[in-house]
This record gives sequence, C-alpha cells and structure tokens, in this order.
Amino acid sequence: MPTSSDDRIRIAEAQFPKPFTGGLEFNAPAHGTWNIVHIGFKIPRAHQIYICADNCMRGVVMTAAEMGELSRFSSVILEEDDMVFAGRLEESTIEGVTDVLNSLPEVPPVVIVFPVCVHKFMGCDINFIYDELSKRFPDVKFVRGFMDPVMQKRGTTPDQRLRKAMFDIIPEGEKDGSVTVIGCDMPLSEDNDIRILLEAKGIKIRDEAACRTLEDYYALGCCDRLVCSYPAGLLGTTALAKRIDKPLTYIPFTFGYDAIDSDLKEIGVTPDPDGRTSCDKAASDLKMLIGDNEIAIDYTAVPRPLSLARFLISRGFNVKKIYLDAIDPDEKEDFEWLVSNAPDTMLCATMHVKGRRLGKNESDEKILAIGQKAAWFEGTEYFVNMIEGGGLYGYAGIKAFLKLMEDAFIVPKDTEDIIPRKGLGCCCVL
Amino acid sequence: MKKAYKILPVYTGDVSGFASALYELGGMLVIHDPSGCNSTYNTHDEVRWYRQEALIYISGLNDIDAITGNDDKFINDIVRAAEDMKPRFIALANSPLPYLNGTDFKGISRIVEDRTGLSCFYVQTNAMHDYTKGASEAYLAFAKKMLKKADKIKGGINILGATPLDHVNTEFVIPEGRTLVSNWSYKTSLDEVLKAPQAELNLVVSSTGLAAAKYMKSEFGIPYELIGNYLDVKREKSHNYIVGEPVISGYAAAAIKKQYGTDFNVIATTEITDGLLSECDMKCHGEDEIRQALSDAEVIIGDPMFELISPKSARFVRLPHFAMSGRLFRKEIPDIMRLEDYYHEP
Repeated sequence: MPTSSDDRIRIAEAQFPKPFTGGLEFNAPAHGTWNIVHIGFKIPRAHQIYICADNCMRGVVMTAAEMGELSRFSSVILEEDDMVFAGRLEESTIEGVTDVLNSLPEVPPVVIVFPVCVHKFMGCDINFIYDELSKRFPDVKFVRGFMDPVMQKRGTTPDQRLRKAMFDIIPEGEKDGSVTVIGCDMPLSEDNDIRILLEAKGIKIRDEAACRTLEDYYALGCCDRLVCSYPAGLLGTTALAKRIDKPLTYIPFTFGYDAIDSDLKEIGVTPDPDGRTSCDKAASDLKMLIGDNEIAIDYTAVPRPLSLARFLISRGFNVKKIYLDAIDPDEKEDFEWLVSNAPDTMLCATMHVKGRRLGKNESDEKILAIGQKAAWFEGTEYFVNMIEGGGLYGYAGIKAFLKLMEDAFIVPKDTEDIIPRKGLGCCCVL
Repeated sequence: MKKAYKILPVYTGDVSGFASALYELGGMLVIHDPSGCNSTYNTHDEVRWYRQEALIYISGLNDIDAITGNDDKFINDIVRAAEDMKPRFIALANSPLPYLNGTDFKGISRIVEDRTGLSCFYVQTNAMHDYTKGASEAYLAFAKKMLKKADKIKGGINILGATPLDHVNTEFVIPEGRTLVSNWSYKTSLDEVLKAPQAELNLVVSSTGLAAAKYMKSEFGIPYELIGNYLDVKREKSHNYIVGEPVISGYAAAAIKKQYGTDFNVIATTEITDGLLSECDMKCHGEDEIRQALSDAEVIIGDPMFELISPKSARFVRLPHFAMSGRLFRKEIPDIMRLEDYYHEP
C-alpha cells in the first residue's frame, strides 16, 4: 500500500508504520513538548552551551529565557568565516566555550556542549574539541550534546541522542534494592502503578525526572533495575543499562490491560486485581457524560496513541481522528485492531502543508481533544493538556487519565494562551 | 570574544526576518532547512501564527540529500505543495547546510517557475545574520521581482519596514495631505503592496525597509525619508544611550531631544546601519562590545534583556523589542511613535 500524499487517510488504507509521504513541513503552534533545552536542564546545575548560527540559536536561547534559566545558558555564534578556513570551527568552538566558562561566576560541574549540523558537515574533529576542553577544565564533566536535526530523518533524533549523552555521565552504582525510573521527562505521578506498587513493597524509587540535586542525578545508577517509560528515552537507557550492567524494563504508558499486567509482573509487583473492573467502570461512567461527541487524539499526549484509541473505541467512544506523522512500530497490534474494528478512523498528519489551513470547529458539537496538537487542529477549547503520558501508568494511570478527560470535557481551556507555551511542566515566565 | 554570548539572547535571525516581511503577501515561503527554523520562527518571532494563515514551510532537508546535492526532492515538494495550496508566488530562503554546499537557489527558482507558472524568487539568507538582513533582502527581492511601473497617486506614501518584529504595536500616523498607498508589511495584503510604485514618497520606519526604498528610488523615482527625519535633529555625545535597532532608536533619540532637550546616543545592535546613524552614535556587535559600550552609561533605554549587561548605577528605561525578547515582554511593547508611552524625564 503506498503512503498517502494527502494530509489524512482512513486507517484501513494507511501504510504501517509510515502512513504519509514526506514533503514540505508545517509546524503547528502547539509547543508543550520538550526540546533539547528543556531536557538538558534536567541535570541539576548543568550549564548548556550552544555553538551555532544566529537563526538556529534564537530558538534555544529563547527557550532558556522563557524558562527563566538564562544564567545556565550561553551561546557561541558561528559566522561565515568559521566555515571557510580549515580548523576555524574547532578553534571557535573551543575558544568560545572557554571564554564562556571563564566568565561565569563559578565553573559549573556539568557542561552540555551542543555542536550542530555544520560541525558534522565540515568534518569537525569533535573528539579533539572535547579532549582540549577537558584539559582546560579538568573538573568539568562535559556532556556531548548535538543539535543536528539533519540526521533525524533517517536515524535518531537530537533529543534521543542527548538523553543518551546525559546518561553517559551517570556512574556505575551498587545494587541497593531500589528501582530507577529514567528516560521520561514527566515525573512519576501519584497515579502511577509503578510507583504505587513498588512503594507498597517498600522499594525505593529514584526518578530521573524528579532529581533535585546533582548528587541525586549521579545516584541514578545505584539500583537493582532500570525502568524506562518513554520511547525517546529508550536509546539512552538501553546504553546505560548495558554499561552499568543493570536489567532494564521498558514500559511506556499503555491502555492494554494484558500489557500492564505483564509489565508490572516483570518489575516484580502484582497488579491491582480490581484494576480492570475499576477502569471499565470509570470508562463506562465517562461514556455516559461524553456520549457520541467526537474525540481527537494526538501523538504528543501519550506514547501509545493507538492503544488509547483502541481502549476508547472498544468502549463505545467516538474517536474520529488520530494526529500523528508516523506510528511507533511497537503499536502494530493496536494498529491492526483498529484496521479491523474501526477502519474509518482517520489518521491525520501534523506536518502536512494543508495543516496550515486554520482548523476551526464550526459545528455546535463539542469536540474533545487529547493533546495540544489535536486541540489546535480541531479548534477546540476542550482538551486534555498532557505530554508524554503525564507520568501516569497502569490501572491507576488509566483512571486518572479518564478523570482528566472528564475535566477537559466539562471545563473549557484558553487554548491560545496555553498551547504556544513551550515545555509543559517546566518553569515558564510568560 | 565577539562570538560568545554569556547571557544575552541573540536577535531574531535572518530566516525569520524573511518570513516576517513576506508573511501577509499570499506567497508560499519555503525555508530549505532540516528542522528548527519553522518552530523557532512561529514560537518566538511571529505574533500572527496562531490566528492568521501564511504558507510558510521548511523543506525537511536530510543528510543524504544535503551531501549528494539532491535538489529534486526539494523542487518536487515545492511544486506539489504549490498545487495543493495555490499560493500567489513562491519565495525561497537558505540555511547553513544548503549555504555550505552551494545550492543553486536561482536555478531552482527558475525550474519552479517553469513547473508551477508562479513567480518564484530567492531571498539571500543563511541563518547567520539577524532579522534586519533577512527582512531587508526579502523586501528587496520581492520588489525586484514583483513591482511594475505605475502612474503616481498624488500625495501617495508607502511605509517600508513595518514588520511586527519592530513595530508590533505601532500605529503610523499618515501626515496630512498624504495618502497611504501601501504598508510593507503588517496588516496589509499582496494587492496593496503591489501598488507601491504609485507612491510619491517612501517612509522608512526600520532598517529593514532601507534597501527596498533605495531600489524604488532608482527604479521608480520614489524618494525616501527616514521616519521623523530623525537624522536632521542634531544630537551631542552623552552618556545616555538607546540600545537597539538604529531607525527606531534614532527616532526615539530625536523625539527625546526635541521634547526634553536631552541627548541620547544610539548604540545600534542590529546589522544594517549604513546611513542610519548620527555622528554621536555607534554600532556594536556581540555581548562583550555592547557591555563595554554601556559601561559608562547614566541612562539606558532598551529592551529589558540589555539590563542583564548594564551597569547597576545606570537608570534603565524599558523599551521591549519583539525581535530581542520575543514573547517575554510582549504586553509591554509600546507604540514607538508615542514617546510619552515609554519615556519620561525624572
């Protein structure tokens, strides 16, 4: 089956896992997802330094400014000369970073350096840069970031590689009976069965997303097991698990009961025996409220949007659209279920050029969106404002999620004020 | 080191300037870039994105196409998008990687024109300059490609250089006896700006409009003035500074001189300054130079970001500039024409 050159396609006709043909790209004004600046600031006391051209710099420096974190952010600007003379790029990078670090009130213990696409294309000697910087600043741990989106079409994204680089500085640690949850930007919610069930067994949890001190961050390797709950974190946690020789369990927020049971058993806890019944009851109650009103889901809200769609459709909800540009290969089973059981569900691209047409809900019917992009495309003020699954997991997570849907359906939000803000969950001074 | 910015943000970049200048003109604007330019632009450099349609896209360039110089995908994607979106023209902008590999944008523009039947032109950007350069190049390229000679409208006037990056809240008052022919280019339209050659005077309201004004002078015989003829107001050296874009800063300095008799010197921190500064003014590039220039300041007027590198002893007057602080102080940005809204003598 060919990919669709249109901006939407019935799921029954969609190619898995890439339903859409690439082309020029639109960017919707929904920015709650985290970028590399937000992610980098998860290391307490880390200072970020970007080395790039003006236009590329603007996005990252303003991200830091809107977080109120300019004191932990610096820039080295690349100009045409840096790209003409052999060795100039290395020199500008090394001297620029040195100048920045020497001018700070105190040299930070961790510095994340971000070269860019240009460094790669100019054949810049990255190892030489880090060797030299490490000689000049022996007390600094340098994290090897990269802002090179040119590589992401065929390989890993800059944020996946940044997470890996950030985990590379976590030292090996003793087994102390604890579990480290790592790779997701959202801290574990109180409505998370991983947290609830492990704590009930008296097992200590270290949560990367909730580290407050650098010591906490360095201690993430002291555990019996690593748990990763977000796809973009898997590359880094897999490498970390191998390096520090700890078992890794990958359990992203899913709405499939069987998957929840087996995932929880893998980390050594017993799922809530009433979990399925209580979730079904909550879904049934919610269906009474929402009725046949349309629901649109986007991929930024939860890591498994097809799993969510399947959960809702199988309980009678009217899920019409799923906004995504590609499908996580791990969602193949849910994709096939939807093809068979809800073939008219529309997959809608978020980057297609037609996305620029302002999507406004002109009918009187209330549309419930799950995720910021869905809210923008549907032009609705009734939406679940969530990214990355919101730190939820398991039966407790599903029930909390259904409650958020209920709240979103009842109480309208100021979509235009909320969704252009960057980094949901981060500090924002706007 | 000129290139190091320890705490100060950089200005909006040239690619965003390109997009801002042509936003409302009905064209399809394509930035040949892997990713990032679009998000940066619509998040931090554009106030219209949420509510007002504009066909601004990136190419999504990947590493293999960049390395092999494969322009076919870029061209095919543009043609397909033009068929879908029916723009009135197409404008192309560059970014660091296509700049490095010497992509032939003029050739690509010709091919796109042949295949779509639409006017297509290239705006020289490479993401290594500030917005004034990008917007200026966009206006100039648009003027060269799209404007045709026309009969004059008596008293007709064009406003040149009015993007929201500089003038998000400015209301320009048209002098008595004058008629507005076109506004380049905020709250305007393609049909309006195409009438520009009918004007008898161009009023340059930021440095982004200067190149197009010079072009229209040579091509259509339209003279131009800088807003408020601010260079005619004689100012002396002082330790009071206005930091920012030279035309806006110069206008404000002249207005203060006329109203209060106080001298302010402009520290121009954006790129285009030729013919826009008085003798007492200066141009600075980079955080260290600006910090040094401000070190003896008694009063500073500028975007609140500059307060981060200003001496504590100086009185700081906030004049937020969207192209510097973006959304941070958006609600505080005054009408630059109304001095009383942002400056008072103590």
